[in-house]
Amino acid sequence: MDFSLTREQEMLRKMVREFAETELRPREDEFAEPEGEWPYDVWKRMAELGLIGLIVPKEYGGNGMGHLARMVAIEEISRVSPAWGAHLRGFGLVPLLLVEHGTEEQKQKHLLRFCRGEIQGSLAGTEATGGSDMLGIQTTAKRDGDYYIVNGRKTMISRSLLSDVFAITMRTGEGVRDISTVLIESSTPGFQRGRVENLITYSRTSPVGEFTMTDCRVPVENRIGREHRGLGPMLSAINAGGRMGGAGICLGIAQATLELAVKYAKERHLYGKPLTDLQTILFMLGDMERQTMRARWLCYYAAWLLDQGKKSSEIPGEMAMAKLDASEAALNNCLKAVEIHGGYGTTPEFGIIQKFKTALDMIAAAGSNQISRLAMSNAAVERY
Amino acid sequence: MPLNIVVCIKQVPAPEHFSKITLDAEKNTIIRGGIPSVINPLDRHALEEGLRIRERLSGRVTALSMGPPQAREVLEEALAMGVDDAVLLCDRALAGADTLATAYSLARAIKKLGKFDIILCGNQTIDGATGQVGPQLAELLDIPHVTYANRIEFVDGSFLVVRRVIEHGYLDVNLQLPALICVLREINQFRLPTAIGIIEAASKEIKTWNCGDIEADTEYVGLGGSPTRVVGVFKHKLERRREILEGSPQEVAQKAVHRLRELGGI
Amino acid sequence: MNQGNEVWIWAEQRSGRLMEVSLELISKGLELSQRLEVGLAAVLIGDRAEELAEELLAYGVGKVYLMEEARLRLYQSDVYANIMANLIYEHNPQIILLGATTIGMDLAPRVAAKVKTGLTAHCADLYLEEIDGRLQLVQVVPGFSGNLMVKIACPQRRPQMATVRPGVMEKPNCMEEGKGQIVRVKPNIKEEDFRAKTIDIVEEKPVGIPLEEANVVVAGGWGLQSAGGFGLIEELANILGGAVAGTRPAVDANWVPEERMIGQSGKTVSPNLFISAGASGAPHFTTGFLKSKVILAIDQNPKSPIFEVSDIGIVGDLRKIVPCLGEELKRIL
Repeated sequence: MDFSLTREQEMLRKMVREFAETELRPREDEFAEPEGEWPYDVWKRMAELGLIGLIVPKEYGGNGMGHLARMVAIEEISRVSPAWGAHLRGFGLVPLLLVEHGTEEQKQKHLLRFCRGEIQGSLAGTEATGGSDMLGIQTTAKRDGDYYIVNGRKTMISRSLLSDVFAITMRTGEGVRDISTVLIESSTPGFQRGRVENLITYSRTSPVGEFTMTDCRVPVENRIGREHRGLGPMLSAINAGGRMGGAGICLGIAQATLELAVKYAKERHLYGKPLTDLQTILFMLGDMERQTMRARWLCYYAAWLLDQGKKSSEIPGEMAMAKLDASEAALNNCLKAVEIHGGYGTTPEFGIIQKFKTALDMIAAAGSNQISRLAMSNAAVERY
Repeated sequence: MPLNIVVCIKQVPAPEHFSKITLDAEKNTIIRGGIPSVINPLDRHALEEGLRIRERLSGRVTALSMGPPQAREVLEEALAMGVDDAVLLCDRALAGADTLATAYSLARAIKKLGKFDIILCGNQTIDGATGQVGPQLAELLDIPHVTYANRIEFVDGSFLVVRRVIEHGYLDVNLQLPALICVLREINQFRLPTAIGIIEAASKEIKTWNCGDIEADTEYVGLGGSPTRVVGVFKHKLERRREILEGSPQEVAQKAVHRLRELGGI
Repeated sequence: MNQGNEVWIWAEQRSGRLMEVSLELISKGLELSQRLEVGLAAVLIGDRAEELAEELLAYGVGKVYLMEEARLRLYQSDVYANIMANLIYEHNPQIILLGATTIGMDLAPRVAAKVKTGLTAHCADLYLEEIDGRLQLVQVVPGFSGNLMVKIACPQRRPQMATVRPGVMEKPNCMEEGKGQIVRVKPNIKEEDFRAKTIDIVEEKPVGIPLEEANVVVAGGWGLQSAGGFGLIEELANILGGAVAGTRPAVDANWVPEERMIGQSGKTVSPNLFISAGASGAPHFTTGFLKSKVILAIDQNPKSPIFEVSDIGIVGDLRKIVPCLGEELKRIL
């Protein structure tokens, strides 16, 4: 078995790391400022570098490097800025939905613009009735000739203030499972952006909030997948795009805090020797590395399976374990890093707290850790 | 009119790992094995300048590197940035070369590449840091050169005005083509390879040439072709007091100032 | 080896004055030529440079080869190199030393390639040693790590050429009047030789205390990154009335400009007091200040090699120590 990344994947990692270190890290303070415009230039830059098009085939304006490449890219961005890692994850979700389930016309119409950083989109399934409970949605759509008339309210939507296009789930039929997915443009009359949430990672760079749709007319040609059969496509994008992306973010956080802890432990001297000479600390660092590496291989394996052509529905357990493990590694490493840094652990200049905040938000991020546990366990029971 | 641009690049040890490089006391050569390598930082600026000239005036950019097989990596990076061709000059016989022998080998390779208009190099490498190969290469190719360049302006197809820095200021130089220019960091900000660039690099071939391919006279290459050679190493005796002060920050500050006074530092 | 082969130094002139490093090389030149029992000559190219030639003689050079012409006032790389090479073919010097200025580093390699000889850059030291039965010029440069120094020689080819950074050697005393001779050489140059033609020079006044003249130099390294930045260095330098400098990483981080970089390919300084803060002490850096009178080093890692080359060392958190040091100095100064 050849466990190495391809040369292209290695070069991509190197490029993304350099981008993160030279263009994101110096602006950490700027990104943390509560006032000011959203950093559109970073989004455009990511597009320019081809990071949004990693899972879009060349013929539609992407580069088709694939899911493992995307995992690596999100990991490397998140190692420096988990907030931007979350955005990179988000930028790719509607494109992925289109790549996997869009019609040829839809792909031709939208994908190039996503890859170029001309428009951005968000998946919008969650409502006040819940995110994981996808069947509980209350948004409705009435068919009117070539249009749907959509009414409803979506909550906890990433970049709610920024996206041009939202992929929403809506009830189109009588049955509880009769749910369709459509693309709605924010310029549609009746579409209204609402308040933003005060999540712990909230900053002007990461607006998560709600929007309402009042008698919005959405063309039927914007529908993804068959009528009443919208859950499948949406779930697929949430899993292959959201869950895997979330795993990548957590990997980046786990890696960053591991590095911070090791560096600190080597430099800090107590009792006349470096912290690494104290076995308690040494063992903590060893376990942090072990957790990170274990999570990484699960994540890379799941991504690799997707690149081999597996559908998300075929590998629910693998993807779930990847996200769960990465999330736990991130949380564990953040906590241990705080401990190792002693009194300095929660001060901003050591950088752990900011990453810890994103790790906390990632627990519930799709697929949430509990849903992941469910998926993983069901898969295990099915397997044997 | 289209220009043929050659950019000479080098793979060097990653600077954070310099302290791990050792010297073979018997052979008096450097042991670099197992140490991560990078493309010489200034060479990225040279590649960028070549790409910009191609974008403005059209032409082809060829990246050339002399090194062991592993040096392919820097040529792959150059291709990912967007150069058109890449050549690796690789032969055991070329190892151990000083700057003159290196310049000779590169000159032979450039002769094989054919007609060229501009050769670009980084002003110096972070390992040897002699800054000598560029000017020597220009001499062997019998073309003029400018070092320490931080600005290149094209007047017409056959001559340029190059600004080169001096200690406190600069000189402006009219430079006839063909010519060689060694660039500084401030000449430009280099681009990162894009994902598309990385994929396309994979489909471009890196030509590998040896001494025979470039018709190099073995007398002028490698260790044997180097007029300079290492004749020994020694440990520099440092006669310093090496007193380490201990205590709280206030305490050490007081002790330090006291000692500095006693030693005549202040 | 013909005993008549001289030791030469290249005397660089810019805007009507001799570069300091060219004068510094004279003492080493005298030392070498005396041991070899040959003459020491300077090579001076420029325009209306007679006074400068006299100055060189006053510093102890035995002969000045003077090539003057209006077109040679500014450095002309192609033409200067041709002139030097022709002079070398005619007189066969055995050693040539050049100051490693931005121009010296441009000229030396071209000349060396023209006459097909060896050249060593940025030498920390030069001396003669018997190798293979002959007195050869040993050119010393720092190794990659520790306090390892590398000896280089050019056993076969002649002349043996080396460049030396400003500040590494010391100027000899200047006499009232020199006792040597000026040999005027008519430069044989045609307009088409100027393939690279310098058309203009613009010189700017340096900002701040020049490092070479400062009594106190405070240099910062990468360790300041996690200690709140370069401001600590600037404050300390302010309190001491000293000059600010940095390591290569500090230059790359844009904390100090390139001309304030200390090290083998940067500046060499020898102030009364040299303070290093946040630099681990790589030899490429330390070689730039080894001749300082008193060296104080502050770093957070007790294993940093910087402590091997300092008189006083403080291990700890820069963020606390540097300000305390500043306070204490303010108190007593």
